[in-house]
Amino acid sequence: MNGAIPALRIDRLVKRYGDFTAVDGISFDVREGEFFGLLGPNGAGKTTTINAIVGLAHITDGSISLFGYDVVRDWRRARRQVGLAPQEYNFDRYLNIRDVLIFQAGYYGIRGKAVQQRADMLLERFDLASKAKQVYTKLSGGMKRRLSLARALIHEPRLVILDEPTAGVDVELRLELWSLLRELNTNGTTIILTTHYLEEAEELCDRIGIIQTGKLVALETTQKLIGDGSLQDVFLELTRR
Amino acid sequence: MIIVNTVGFETLVKREMVRTFSIINQVIWPPVIQTLLYVFVFGLGLGSQIKNMPAGVSYAQFLIPGLIMLQVIDQTYSESSSSVFQGRFMNSIQELLIAPLSAIEMILGYVVAGAVRAIFIALLITALGLVFVHTVPTNWALYVVTIALVAVLFSSLGIIFGLLAEKFDHIAVLTTFFITPLVFVGGVFTSASQLPALVQKILLFNPMFYMIDSFRYSYTGVGDVPLALSLTVVTVLAVVSFAVALRMTATGFKLRM
Repeated sequence: MNGAIPALRIDRLVKRYGDFTAVDGISFDVREGEFFGLLGPNGAGKTTTINAIVGLAHITDGSISLFGYDVVRDWRRARRQVGLAPQEYNFDRYLNIRDVLIFQAGYYGIRGKAVQQRADMLLERFDLASKAKQVYTKLSGGMKRRLSLARALIHEPRLVILDEPTAGVDVELRLELWSLLRELNTNGTTIILTTHYLEEAEELCDRIGIIQTGKLVALETTQKLIGDGSLQDVFLELTRR
Repeated sequence: MIIVNTVGFETLVKREMVRTFSIINQVIWPPVIQTLLYVFVFGLGLGSQIKNMPAGVSYAQFLIPGLIMLQVIDQTYSESSSSVFQGRFMNSIQELLIAPLSAIEMILGYVVAGAVRAIFIALLITALGLVFVHTVPTNWALYVVTIALVAVLFSSLGIIFGLLAEKFDHIAVLTTFFITPLVFVGGVFTSASQLPALVQKILLFNPMFYMIDSFRYSYTGVGDVPLALSLTVVTVLAVVSFAVALRMTATGFKLRM
Protein backbone atom coordinates (compact mmCIF):
# COMPACT_ATOMS: atom_id res chain seq x y z
CA MET A 1 0.00 0.00 0.00
CA ASN A 2 1.27 3.49 -0.72
CA GLY A 3 -0.01 6.83 0.49
CA ALA A 4 -1.95 7.45 -2.72
CA ILE A 5 -4.48 4.73 -2.00
CA PRO A 6 -7.29 6.20 0.08
CA ALA A 7 -8.38 4.62 3.33
CA LEU A 8 -11.93 4.67 1.97
CA ARG A 9 -13.14 5.19 -1.57
CA ILE A 10 -16.86 5.37 -2.25
CA ASP A 11 -17.67 5.52 -5.94
CA ARG A 12 -21.23 6.31 -7.09
CA LEU A 13 -22.76 4.34 -4.23
CA VAL A 14 -26.45 3.61 -4.58
CA LYS A 15 -28.54 1.79 -2.00
CA ARG A 16 -32.22 1.15 -2.62
CA TYR A 17 -34.82 -0.53 -0.43
CA GLY A 18 -37.54 -1.42 -2.91
CA ASP A 19 -38.67 1.88 -4.40
CA PHE A 20 -36.93 3.95 -1.74
CA THR A 21 -33.45 5.25 -2.52
CA ALA A 22 -31.54 5.68 0.74
CA VAL A 23 -28.20 6.54 -0.84
CA ASP A 24 -28.23 8.13 -4.26
CA GLY A 25 -24.92 7.96 -6.09
CA ILE A 26 -22.53 9.44 -3.55
CA SER A 27 -18.76 9.47 -4.15
CA PHE A 28 -15.94 10.55 -1.88
CA ASP A 29 -12.55 9.49 -0.59
CA VAL A 30 -11.19 9.52 2.93
CA ARG A 31 -7.42 9.80 3.09
CA GLU A 32 -5.29 7.61 5.35
CA GLY A 33 -4.78 9.29 8.71
CA GLU A 34 -7.70 11.67 8.22
CA PHE A 35 -10.40 12.46 10.79
CA PHE A 36 -13.51 12.64 8.62
CA GLY A 37 -16.98 13.70 9.67
CA LEU A 38 -20.06 12.37 7.92
CA LEU A 39 -22.99 14.56 8.84
CA GLY A 40 -26.61 14.78 7.89
CA PRO A 41 -30.07 14.95 9.41
CA ASN A 42 -31.90 11.81 10.55
CA GLY A 43 -32.69 9.53 7.63
CA ALA A 44 -30.17 11.23 5.33
CA GLY A 45 -28.34 7.97 4.60
CA LYS A 46 -25.35 8.14 6.97
CA THR A 47 -25.93 4.83 8.74
CA THR A 48 -26.87 3.13 5.46
CA THR A 49 -23.56 4.30 4.00
CA ILE A 50 -21.70 2.99 7.04
CA ASN A 51 -23.56 -0.31 6.84
CA ALA A 52 -22.56 -0.63 3.19
CA ILE A 53 -18.91 0.04 4.10
CA VAL A 54 -18.77 -2.64 6.83
CA GLY A 55 -20.87 -5.25 5.02
CA LEU A 56 -24.14 -4.92 6.93
CA ALA A 57 -25.96 -3.68 3.82
CA HIS A 58 -25.88 -4.95 0.26
CA ILE A 59 -24.74 -2.42 -2.32
CA THR A 60 -27.32 -1.77 -5.05
CA ASP A 61 -24.85 -0.02 -7.37
CA GLY A 62 -21.43 1.57 -7.29
CA SER A 63 -18.45 0.39 -5.29
CA ILE A 64 -16.61 0.82 -2.00
CA SER A 65 -12.99 -0.01 -1.28
CA LEU A 66 -11.00 0.09 1.95
CA PHE A 67 -7.28 0.68 1.51
CA GLY A 68 -7.67 -0.57 -2.06
CA TYR A 69 -9.65 -3.70 -1.19
CA ASP A 70 -13.13 -3.86 -2.69
CA VAL A 71 -15.67 -4.61 0.05
CA VAL A 72 -17.54 -7.08 -2.19
CA ARG A 73 -14.86 -8.78 -4.28
CA ASP A 74 -12.11 -8.73 -1.65
CA TRP A 75 -14.35 -8.65 1.40
CA ARG A 76 -12.14 -10.62 3.78
CA ARG A 77 -9.17 -8.28 3.44
CA ALA A 78 -11.42 -5.23 3.32
CA ARG A 79 -13.15 -6.15 6.59
CA ARG A 80 -9.83 -6.65 8.38
CA GLN A 81 -9.04 -2.98 7.76
CA VAL A 82 -12.06 -1.56 9.53
CA GLY A 83 -13.53 -1.48 13.02
CA LEU A 84 -17.05 -0.31 13.79
CA ALA A 85 -18.44 1.23 16.95
CA PRO A 86 -22.17 1.21 16.20
CA GLN A 87 -24.71 3.60 17.59
CA GLU A 88 -26.70 0.86 19.35
CA TYR A 89 -25.03 -1.44 21.88
CA ASN A 90 -24.84 -4.92 20.42
CA PHE A 91 -22.49 -6.76 22.76
CA ASP A 92 -22.72 -10.48 23.39
CA ARG A 93 -24.70 -10.82 26.60
CA TYR A 94 -23.17 -14.22 27.45
CA LEU A 95 -19.58 -12.96 27.62
CA ASN A 96 -17.83 -10.84 30.20
CA ILE A 97 -16.41 -7.64 28.74
CA ARG A 98 -12.84 -8.96 28.52
CA ASP A 99 -14.14 -11.92 26.53
CA VAL A 100 -16.23 -9.56 24.38
CA LEU A 101 -12.91 -8.17 23.16
CA ILE A 102 -11.10 -11.51 22.92
CA PHE A 103 -13.93 -13.23 21.05
CA GLN A 104 -14.27 -10.28 18.67
CA ALA A 105 -10.56 -10.62 17.86
CA GLY A 106 -11.17 -14.33 17.31
CA TYR A 107 -13.84 -13.62 14.69
CA TYR A 108 -11.17 -11.59 12.90
CA GLY A 109 -8.88 -14.63 12.96
CA ILE A 110 -6.62 -13.42 15.75
CA ARG A 111 -5.96 -15.20 19.04
CA GLY A 112 -3.27 -15.97 21.55
CA LYS A 113 -1.39 -14.18 24.26
CA ALA A 114 -0.95 -11.04 22.17
CA VAL A 115 -4.75 -10.62 21.89
CA GLN A 116 -5.20 -11.14 25.62
CA GLN A 117 -2.55 -8.53 26.31
CA ARG A 118 -4.17 -6.13 23.86
CA ALA A 119 -7.58 -6.69 25.45
CA ASP A 120 -6.08 -5.95 28.88
CA MET A 121 -4.32 -2.89 27.52
CA LEU A 122 -7.55 -1.57 25.97
CA LEU A 123 -9.53 -2.24 29.14
CA GLU A 124 -6.89 -0.35 31.07
CA ARG A 125 -6.74 2.49 28.55
CA PHE A 126 -10.52 2.88 28.53
CA ASP A 127 -10.76 2.63 32.30
CA LEU A 128 -12.69 -0.64 32.22
CA ALA A 129 -10.15 -2.99 33.80
CA SER A 130 -12.02 -3.19 37.10
CA LYS A 131 -15.11 -4.40 35.21
CA ALA A 132 -13.29 -7.01 33.09
CA LYS A 133 -15.21 -9.98 34.50
CA GLN A 134 -18.65 -8.35 34.34
CA VAL A 135 -21.19 -8.62 31.55
CA TYR A 136 -21.95 -5.44 29.64
CA THR A 137 -25.43 -5.06 31.12
CA LYS A 138 -23.75 -4.14 34.44
CA LEU A 139 -21.92 -1.19 32.90
CA SER A 140 -22.97 2.45 32.91
CA GLY A 141 -23.83 4.19 29.63
CA GLY A 142 -20.42 5.83 29.45
CA MET A 143 -18.65 2.53 30.08
CA LYS A 144 -20.66 0.88 27.30
CA ARG A 145 -19.55 3.64 24.92
CA ARG A 146 -15.92 3.08 25.87
CA LEU A 147 -16.33 -0.69 25.51
CA SER A 148 -17.79 -0.19 22.06
CA LEU A 149 -14.72 1.79 21.06
CA ALA A 150 -12.37 -0.78 22.61
CA ARG A 151 -14.11 -3.57 20.70
CA ALA A 152 -13.77 -1.66 17.44
CA LEU A 153 -10.02 -1.41 18.07
CA ILE A 154 -9.25 -4.94 19.26
CA HIS A 155 -8.13 -6.23 15.84
CA GLU A 156 -5.98 -3.13 15.23
CA PRO A 157 -7.94 -1.75 12.27
CA ARG A 158 -6.47 1.02 10.14
CA LEU A 159 -9.86 2.70 9.87
CA VAL A 160 -12.40 3.10 12.66
CA ILE A 161 -15.99 4.12 12.04
CA LEU A 162 -17.84 5.68 14.94
CA ASP A 163 -21.56 6.03 14.56
CA GLU A 164 -22.75 8.65 17.07
CA PRO A 165 -20.09 7.72 19.66
CA THR A 166 -21.12 10.39 22.15
CA ALA A 167 -24.90 10.12 21.82
CA GLY A 168 -26.51 10.30 25.24
CA VAL A 169 -23.34 10.79 27.27
CA ASP A 170 -22.63 13.65 29.65
CA VAL A 171 -20.28 16.53 28.88
CA GLU A 172 -17.43 15.18 30.97
CA LEU A 173 -17.43 11.82 29.23
CA ARG A 174 -17.81 13.47 25.84
CA LEU A 175 -14.65 15.46 26.43
CA GLU A 176 -12.90 12.31 27.60
CA LEU A 177 -13.98 10.46 24.45
CA TRP A 178 -12.80 13.36 22.29
CA SER A 179 -9.41 13.09 23.91
CA LEU A 180 -9.29 9.34 23.25
CA LEU A 181 -10.29 9.84 19.63
CA ARG A 182 -7.70 12.55 19.06
CA GLU A 183 -5.01 10.32 20.54
CA LEU A 184 -6.12 7.44 18.31
CA ASN A 185 -6.01 9.65 15.23
CA THR A 186 -2.64 11.12 16.17
CA ASN A 187 -1.30 7.57 16.37
CA GLY A 188 -2.25 7.03 12.72
CA THR A 189 -5.73 5.52 12.78
CA THR A 190 -8.09 6.94 10.19
CA ILE A 191 -11.42 7.88 11.75
CA ILE A 192 -14.86 8.39 10.26
CA LEU A 193 -17.32 9.96 12.64
CA THR A 194 -21.04 10.52 12.36
CA THR A 195 -22.59 12.79 14.89
CA HIS A 196 -25.51 15.12 15.47
CA TYR A 197 -23.33 17.31 17.70
CA LEU A 198 -22.00 19.81 15.19
CA GLU A 199 -19.51 21.26 17.66
CA GLU A 200 -18.05 17.76 17.96
CA ALA A 201 -17.45 17.55 14.22
CA GLU A 202 -16.09 21.10 14.22
CA GLU A 203 -13.73 20.26 17.05
CA LEU A 204 -12.45 16.92 15.80
CA CYS A 205 -12.76 16.57 12.03
CA ASP A 206 -10.23 17.57 9.37
CA ARG A 207 -12.83 17.29 6.65
CA ILE A 208 -16.60 16.98 6.59
CA GLY A 209 -19.10 15.48 4.17
CA ILE A 210 -22.77 16.37 4.52
CA ILE A 211 -25.45 14.02 3.24
CA GLN A 212 -29.01 15.10 2.58
CA THR A 213 -31.68 12.68 1.26
CA GLY A 214 -29.02 10.26 0.10
CA LYS A 215 -26.95 12.82 -1.81
CA LEU A 216 -23.65 14.36 -0.86
CA VAL A 217 -24.32 18.10 -0.66
CA ALA A 218 -20.99 19.24 0.77
CA LEU A 219 -17.46 17.86 0.97
CA GLU A 220 -14.86 20.24 2.25
CA THR A 221 -12.24 20.79 4.90
CA THR A 222 -13.81 21.87 8.15
CA GLN A 223 -12.18 25.29 7.98
CA LYS A 224 -13.32 26.00 4.43
CA LEU A 225 -16.80 24.72 5.10
CA ILE A 226 -17.27 26.95 8.10
CA GLY A 227 -15.54 30.01 6.65
CA ASP A 228 -16.41 32.99 8.79
CA GLY A 229 -19.68 31.50 10.04
CA SER A 230 -20.45 28.41 12.07
CA LEU A 231 -20.93 24.79 11.10
CA GLN A 232 -24.48 24.99 12.37
CA ASP A 233 -25.34 27.79 9.92
CA VAL A 234 -23.76 25.91 7.00
CA PHE A 235 -25.41 22.65 8.01
CA LEU A 236 -28.87 24.19 8.31
CA GLU A 237 -28.52 26.02 5.02
CA LEU A 238 -27.46 22.88 3.15
CA THR A 239 -29.96 20.51 4.71
CA ARG A 240 -33.00 22.78 4.52
CA ARG A 241 -32.87 23.01 0.72
CA MET B 1 -10.77 -24.87 1.46
CA ILE B 2 -14.24 -24.57 2.99
CA ILE B 3 -12.89 -22.86 6.09
CA VAL B 4 -10.36 -20.09 5.53
CA ASN B 5 -10.81 -18.20 8.81
CA THR B 6 -10.18 -21.21 11.06
CA VAL B 7 -9.74 -19.12 14.20
CA GLY B 8 -12.99 -17.25 13.48
CA PHE B 9 -14.86 -20.52 13.02
CA GLU B 10 -13.39 -22.02 16.21
CA THR B 11 -14.21 -18.86 18.11
CA LEU B 12 -17.86 -19.10 17.07
CA VAL B 13 -17.99 -22.77 18.19
CA LYS B 14 -16.45 -21.76 21.51
CA ARG B 15 -18.89 -18.87 21.87
CA GLU B 16 -21.82 -21.23 21.38
CA MET B 17 -20.37 -23.55 24.01
CA VAL B 18 -19.99 -20.64 26.44
CA ARG B 19 -23.62 -19.77 25.78
CA THR B 20 -24.71 -23.38 26.39
CA PHE B 21 -22.93 -23.65 29.71
CA SER B 22 -24.06 -20.24 30.88
CA ILE B 23 -27.65 -21.45 30.54
CA ILE B 24 -26.97 -25.00 31.70
CA ASN B 25 -30.26 -25.21 33.62
CA GLN B 26 -32.09 -24.57 30.39
CA VAL B 27 -30.02 -26.67 28.00
CA ILE B 28 -28.25 -29.54 29.74
CA TRP B 29 -30.17 -30.55 32.87
CA PRO B 30 -33.77 -30.55 31.55
CA PRO B 31 -33.14 -33.32 28.99
CA VAL B 32 -31.31 -35.37 31.62
CA ILE B 33 -34.06 -34.99 34.23
CA GLN B 34 -36.87 -35.54 31.71
CA THR B 35 -35.15 -38.72 30.56
CA LEU B 36 -34.82 -39.95 34.13
CA LEU B 37 -38.55 -39.38 34.62
CA TYR B 38 -39.43 -41.21 31.39
CA VAL B 39 -37.20 -44.12 32.38
CA PHE B 40 -38.70 -44.44 35.86
CA VAL B 41 -42.34 -43.90 34.89
CA PHE B 42 -42.54 -45.61 31.51
CA GLY B 43 -39.44 -47.79 31.42
CA LEU B 44 -39.17 -49.29 34.88
CA GLY B 45 -42.77 -48.70 35.96
CA LEU B 46 -45.33 -49.31 33.23
CA GLY B 47 -42.71 -50.84 30.93
CA SER B 48 -42.23 -53.86 33.17
CA GLN B 49 -45.62 -55.05 31.92
CA ILE B 50 -44.56 -54.88 28.26
CA LYS B 51 -42.98 -58.05 26.91
CA ASN B 52 -41.65 -59.29 23.56
CA MET B 53 -39.62 -56.25 22.59
CA PRO B 54 -37.40 -56.58 19.47
CA ALA B 55 -33.90 -58.00 19.89
CA GLY B 56 -34.90 -59.46 23.24
CA VAL B 57 -34.28 -56.25 25.21
CA SER B 58 -36.40 -55.00 28.10
CA TYR B 59 -38.80 -52.12 27.45
CA ALA B 60 -36.61 -49.75 29.50
CA GLN B 61 -33.58 -50.75 27.40
CA PHE B 62 -35.63 -50.27 24.24
CA LEU B 63 -36.66 -46.82 25.45
CA ILE B 64 -33.19 -45.36 26.09
CA PRO B 65 -32.02 -44.78 22.48
CA GLY B 66 -35.42 -43.29 21.59
CA LEU B 67 -35.23 -40.91 24.54
CA ILE B 68 -31.70 -39.88 23.58
CA MET B 69 -32.90 -39.04 20.06
CA LEU B 70 -35.91 -37.17 21.47
CA GLN B 71 -33.66 -34.92 23.57
CA VAL B 72 -30.97 -34.51 20.93
CA ILE B 73 -33.54 -33.37 18.36
CA ASP B 74 -35.32 -31.05 20.75
CA GLN B 75 -32.23 -29.41 22.26
CA THR B 76 -30.33 -29.07 19.01
CA TYR B 77 -33.19 -27.26 17.30
CA SER B 78 -34.06 -25.10 20.31
CA GLU B 79 -30.52 -23.96 20.92
CA SER B 80 -29.51 -23.05 17.37
CA SER B 81 -32.84 -21.32 16.64
CA SER B 82 -32.79 -19.29 19.86
CA SER B 83 -29.10 -18.39 19.46
CA VAL B 84 -29.62 -17.07 15.92
CA PHE B 85 -32.89 -15.34 16.73
CA GLN B 86 -31.48 -13.74 19.88
CA GLY B 87 -28.43 -12.60 17.92
CA ARG B 88 -30.74 -10.92 15.40
CA PHE B 89 -33.01 -9.49 18.05
CA MET B 90 -30.13 -8.05 20.13
CA ASN B 91 -28.06 -7.22 17.01
CA SER B 92 -25.11 -9.11 18.53
CA ILE B 93 -24.96 -11.22 15.36
CA GLN B 94 -23.52 -8.10 13.72
CA GLU B 95 -20.24 -8.97 15.46
CA LEU B 96 -20.06 -11.94 13.09
CA LEU B 97 -21.46 -10.16 10.05
CA ILE B 98 -18.82 -7.42 10.00
CA ALA B 99 -15.96 -9.86 10.64
CA PRO B 100 -14.11 -11.70 7.87
CA LEU B 101 -16.26 -14.80 8.32
CA SER B 102 -17.91 -16.44 5.32
CA ALA B 103 -21.47 -17.80 5.37
CA ILE B 104 -20.22 -21.37 5.46
CA GLU B 105 -17.85 -20.61 8.34
CA MET B 106 -20.76 -19.13 10.27
CA ILE B 107 -23.14 -21.98 9.52
CA LEU B 108 -20.52 -24.61 10.30
CA GLY B 109 -19.79 -22.79 13.57
CA TYR B 110 -23.40 -23.12 14.67
CA VAL B 111 -23.75 -26.67 13.34
CA VAL B 112 -20.52 -28.03 14.85
CA ALA B 113 -21.45 -26.43 18.18
CA GLY B 114 -24.87 -28.09 17.84
CA ALA B 115 -23.23 -31.47 17.20
CA VAL B 116 -20.88 -31.13 20.18
CA ARG B 117 -23.81 -30.14 22.41
CA ALA B 118 -25.88 -33.05 21.08
CA ILE B 119 -23.13 -35.60 21.72
CA PHE B 120 -22.60 -34.21 25.22
CA ILE B 121 -26.30 -34.52 26.07
CA ALA B 122 -26.44 -37.96 24.47
CA LEU B 123 -23.46 -39.18 26.51
CA LEU B 124 -25.05 -37.97 29.74
CA ILE B 125 -28.24 -39.88 28.96
CA THR B 126 -26.23 -42.88 27.81
CA ALA B 127 -24.57 -42.90 31.23
CA LEU B 128 -28.03 -42.89 32.83
CA GLY B 129 -28.98 -45.84 30.62
CA LEU B 130 -25.90 -47.71 31.77
CA VAL B 131 -26.53 -47.03 35.45
CA PHE B 132 -30.30 -47.55 35.61
CA VAL B 133 -31.20 -50.05 32.87
CA HIS B 134 -27.79 -51.58 32.09
CA THR B 135 -27.70 -50.81 28.39
CA VAL B 136 -24.91 -49.32 26.26
CA PRO B 137 -24.45 -48.88 22.53
CA THR B 138 -22.89 -51.82 20.74
CA ASN B 139 -21.95 -49.79 17.67
CA TRP B 140 -20.32 -46.51 18.76
CA ALA B 141 -19.50 -45.41 15.22
CA LEU B 142 -23.17 -45.59 14.25
CA TYR B 143 -24.07 -43.87 17.54
CA VAL B 144 -21.83 -40.89 16.75
CA VAL B 145 -22.68 -40.75 13.02
CA THR B 146 -26.43 -40.73 13.66
CA ILE B 147 -26.19 -38.02 16.32
CA ALA B 148 -23.94 -35.95 14.06
CA LEU B 149 -26.35 -36.22 11.12
CA VAL B 150 -29.35 -35.40 13.28
CA ALA B 151 -27.47 -32.47 14.81
CA VAL B 152 -26.63 -31.11 11.35
CA LEU B 153 -30.28 -31.43 10.33
CA PHE B 154 -31.78 -29.78 13.40
CA SER B 155 -29.08 -27.15 13.87
CA SER B 156 -29.70 -26.15 10.26
CA LEU B 157 -33.46 -26.10 10.79
CA GLY B 158 -32.83 -24.01 13.90
CA ILE B 159 -30.82 -21.51 11.86
CA ILE B 160 -33.53 -21.40 9.18
CA PHE B 161 -36.30 -20.74 11.70
CA GLY B 162 -34.07 -18.39 13.71
CA LEU B 163 -33.77 -16.33 10.53
CA LEU B 164 -37.43 -16.59 9.53
CA ALA B 165 -38.86 -15.76 12.97
CA GLU B 166 -40.12 -12.27 13.73
CA LYS B 167 -40.71 -13.06 17.41
CA PHE B 168 -39.68 -15.80 19.82
CA ASP B 169 -43.08 -17.39 19.50
CA HIS B 170 -42.40 -18.20 15.83
CA ILE B 171 -39.49 -20.50 16.56
CA ALA B 172 -41.76 -22.63 18.73
CA VAL B 173 -44.05 -23.36 15.77
CA LEU B 174 -41.82 -26.10 14.37
CA THR B 175 -41.35 -27.68 17.82
CA THR B 176 -44.99 -27.58 18.83
CA PHE B 177 -46.66 -28.62 15.61
CA PHE B 178 -44.06 -30.82 13.90
CA ILE B 179 -41.01 -31.93 15.88
CA THR B 180 -42.63 -33.04 19.14
CA PRO B 181 -45.64 -34.84 17.59
CA LEU B 182 -43.54 -36.54 14.91
CA VAL B 183 -40.88 -37.67 17.39
CA PHE B 184 -43.47 -39.04 19.83
CA VAL B 185 -45.17 -41.10 17.13
CA GLY B 186 -41.87 -41.87 15.39
CA GLY B 187 -40.85 -44.85 17.47
CA VAL B 188 -39.53 -43.47 20.75
CA PHE B 189 -42.00 -45.49 22.80
CA THR B 190 -43.00 -48.29 20.43
CA SER B 191 -41.43 -50.48 17.82
CA ALA B 192 -43.03 -50.29 14.36
CA SER B 193 -43.32 -54.08 14.42
CA GLN B 194 -45.81 -53.78 17.32
CA LEU B 195 -48.12 -51.45 15.40
CA PRO B 196 -50.99 -52.32 13.00
CA ALA B 197 -49.94 -52.77 9.36
CA LEU B 198 -51.59 -49.54 8.19
CA VAL B 199 -49.87 -47.48 10.89
CA GLN B 200 -46.55 -49.08 9.94
CA LYS B 201 -47.04 -47.82 6.38
CA ILE B 202 -47.91 -44.31 7.58
CA LEU B 203 -44.84 -44.35 9.82
CA LEU B 204 -42.62 -44.59 6.75
CA PHE B 205 -43.59 -40.99 5.90
CA ASN B 206 -42.39 -39.75 9.27
CA PRO B 207 -38.74 -38.62 8.98
CA MET B 208 -38.20 -38.93 12.75
CA PHE B 209 -38.86 -42.65 12.50
CA TYR B 210 -35.66 -43.13 10.44
CA MET B 211 -33.55 -41.13 12.90
CA ILE B 212 -34.80 -43.08 15.88
CA ASP B 213 -34.59 -46.43 14.09
CA SER B 214 -31.02 -45.78 12.94
CA PHE B 215 -29.95 -44.68 16.40
CA ARG B 216 -31.64 -47.62 18.11
CA TYR B 217 -29.72 -49.88 15.74
CA SER B 218 -26.51 -48.63 17.42
CA TYR B 219 -27.85 -50.17 20.67
CA THR B 220 -29.76 -53.26 19.62
CA GLY B 221 -28.18 -54.13 16.28
CA VAL B 222 -31.62 -54.45 14.67
CA GLY B 223 -34.04 -51.99 13.12
CA ASP B 224 -37.56 -51.85 11.73
CA VAL B 225 -36.22 -50.82 8.31
CA PRO B 226 -32.81 -51.43 6.70
CA LEU B 227 -30.08 -49.30 8.27
CA ALA B 228 -28.93 -48.03 4.85
CA LEU B 229 -32.41 -46.66 4.17
CA SER B 230 -32.55 -44.85 7.53
CA LEU B 231 -29.10 -43.34 7.12
CA THR B 232 -29.88 -42.27 3.56
CA VAL B 233 -33.08 -40.49 4.61
CA VAL B 234 -31.34 -38.70 7.49
CA THR B 235 -28.35 -37.76 5.32
CA VAL B 236 -30.52 -36.33 2.53
CA LEU B 237 -32.58 -34.28 4.99
CA ALA B 238 -29.42 -33.01 6.72
CA VAL B 239 -27.80 -32.00 3.42
CA VAL B 240 -30.95 -30.24 2.17
CA SER B 241 -31.52 -28.29 5.39
CA PHE B 242 -27.83 -27.37 5.64
CA ALA B 243 -27.92 -26.11 2.04
CA VAL B 244 -31.02 -24.00 2.72
CA ALA B 245 -29.49 -22.50 5.90
CA LEU B 246 -26.28 -21.77 4.01
CA ARG B 247 -28.12 -20.14 1.12
CA MET B 248 -30.17 -17.94 3.47
CA THR B 249 -27.05 -16.83 5.32
CA ALA B 250 -25.01 -16.29 2.15
CA THR B 251 -27.71 -14.04 0.70
CA GLY B 252 -27.96 -12.18 4.01
CA PHE B 253 -31.63 -13.08 4.50
CA LYS B 254 -32.86 -10.86 7.36
CA LEU B 255 -29.21 -10.36 8.33
CA ARG B 256 -27.88 -7.79 5.91
CA MET B 257 -30.08 -4.95 4.71
